[in-house]
Amino acid sequence: MSEGLDTFVRPTDKVGRILYNLTAALAIFGGLVVGAVAVMTTISVTGRAALSMPVPGDVELIEIGTSTAVFAFLPFCQLMRGNVIVDFFLTWAPERVKSGCDVLGALIYLIVGGILTWRLSHGAFEMYEFAETTGTLAIPRWYSFPYGVACMALLLVVTLYTLVNYFSETRAGSVHD
Amino acid sequence: MTGFEIGIIGFAGLLIMLAIRIPIGVAMLATGMIGYVSIAGWLPLMSFLKTQMYWQFTSFDLSVAPLFIMMGQFASKAGLSQALFRAANVWLGHHRGGVAMAAIGGCAGFASISGSSLATAAIMGQVALPELKRYNYAGSLATGALAAGGTLGILIPPSIVLIIYAIMVEANIATLFQAAFIPGILAALGYILAIAIVVRINPKAGPAGKRAERAEKWEALLDIWPVLLIFLLVMGGIYIGIFTPTEGAGVGAVGTFLIAVTRGGMRLKGTIEAILGTANTTGMIFLILLGAGIFNAFLGFSELPILAAEFFKESGLPPFSILLAMIFLYILLGFVMDSLSMILLTVPIFWPIIAGLDFGLGPDDLKLWFGIITLIVVEVGLITPPVGLNVFVINSMAKDVPMIETFKGVIPFFISDGVRVAFILWFPILTLWLPHLIRID
Repeated sequence: MSEGLDTFVRPTDKVGRILYNLTAALAIFGGLVVGAVAVMTTISVTGRAALSMPVPGDVELIEIGTSTAVFAFLPFCQLMRGNVIVDFFLTWAPERVKSGCDVLGALIYLIVGGILTWRLSHGAFEMYEFAETTGTLAIPRWYSFPYGVACMALLLVVTLYTLVNYFSETRAGSVHD
Repeated sequence: MTGFEIGIIGFAGLLIMLAIRIPIGVAMLATGMIGYVSIAGWLPLMSFLKTQMYWQFTSFDLSVAPLFIMMGQFASKAGLSQALFRAANVWLGHHRGGVAMAAIGGCAGFASISGSSLATAAIMGQVALPELKRYNYAGSLATGALAAGGTLGILIPPSIVLIIYAIMVEANIATLFQAAFIPGILAALGYILAIAIVVRINPKAGPAGKRAERAEKWEALLDIWPVLLIFLLVMGGIYIGIFTPTEGAGVGAVGTFLIAVTRGGMRLKGTIEAILGTANTTGMIFLILLGAGIFNAFLGFSELPILAAEFFKESGLPPFSILLAMIFLYILLGFVMDSLSMILLTVPIFWPIIAGLDFGLGPDDLKLWFGIITLIVVEVGLITPPVGLNVFVINSMAKDVPMIETFKGVIPFFISDGVRVAFILWFPILTLWLPHLIRID
């Protein structure tokens, strides 16, 4: 885990810069949601202790806040190559082999991410039809789905971008070898 | 093919994908999906995936993770490391090896409000390494102490890895935090003892620092009041059951934010950095959790965990030798893998095996005890070559110390870890005493 010492390398090409700005803005939005959840929790706890009056539906707000934030974080995490790999067996392999494997990794992520996004959009219809809501505040659950699909769509674009990047690294590596 | 065979193939496939640098969350997603389809079929998976992501991300249990991560991010920007190191140094510095002991003390203090080992190592390294150099400490002792001290970040609650373990075995997070407290303190004391032994063998490695005045000692302690306040409020509240861990983490995030702004001088730029850091770590963890969720659904279908548990139960092997074999395997995995991935990969198989064996403990106590042992042994991976992340972080900060020196410097602390694991194995009471004392229901 790398919290506290992240050094974010911003892409320098045009597409990369646009994607960085988009994903970072989305991630900051998600972070603000986490912050809002923290503030709401603090108010709820204080209210409960002082007036025995917690914020109604605080648990639901925490849950929805968390999912809103996490969806927002995934594209940024992928663009920053923040996802954990086991860098052991291929540590001493040539760069070309490494980026070749990374191409494969991004490709698999693109495929499973595509399946997840596709299924999530179907989930949206299902939730809408069943009109499921949260317990206390009766927030319709389907609200989260179109938003989640939008975040996942951005994730797919970012994954495609990283895939192309890894691929060009492979080509560059083969020239240097 | 039976489910069992598909389960084994799925596991092997996962390990191969990990070996060729496929991100761990992605590899778990892919093998999980393929395995799910092979056993249950295509349509059930498609129906499962419609809402799986949503339910996984809205899980109340997991909501504690982003809040603790955010709390740790703000704590790193709160300008507390200098005060923590100084408070430990005025009390310990005049002993032989005392400045290194103070670095451990500072790490332990920071660990009580942060759940990250790397952040603890990095934050205390910035402050302590220049001091250690000023007192002519051996490079290996200085860097080794900080790399090992960093692991306290996870060993002393709050601890993200422990939260994930608690969710996987359906244990109470607060109870596990209680269970980790005494072993965490023992870890810090064990590291200090390791330093004392190193400087006894080689006095030149760690000369004594200067002795502080009495007034200075108390003044330095007062200076760390924000850490004490956050610790008492957040962790104290969780330990005695006033807060749920999620509530405690929320309060902690607000509290560390305020301290970072008022004392650490955090402004807009620092806040955005902290938020992006939260985003990156949280995104990484939840991708792995999503993958583990689908992979474990597949493992459940394959009945591999149940069959493995039955096999070991019936094998007649002594429970302790099975546990020792697991510990050995964790140490091996620690050479190549990070702690969170190890927990997610192994606990779904290992916990049912352990739960089926007789260690003379009740099921709830067994969860706590096995959890703390697992936590310690997976953290050892952070200081062992070739991918000991803490060692890399500290070594990159101490440019004049060769990497090999740092790995040599870690050895005494590695031994200290081994001794501690033996104690905790032998005396479950060390883990169970505090949870028994304060029961939360």
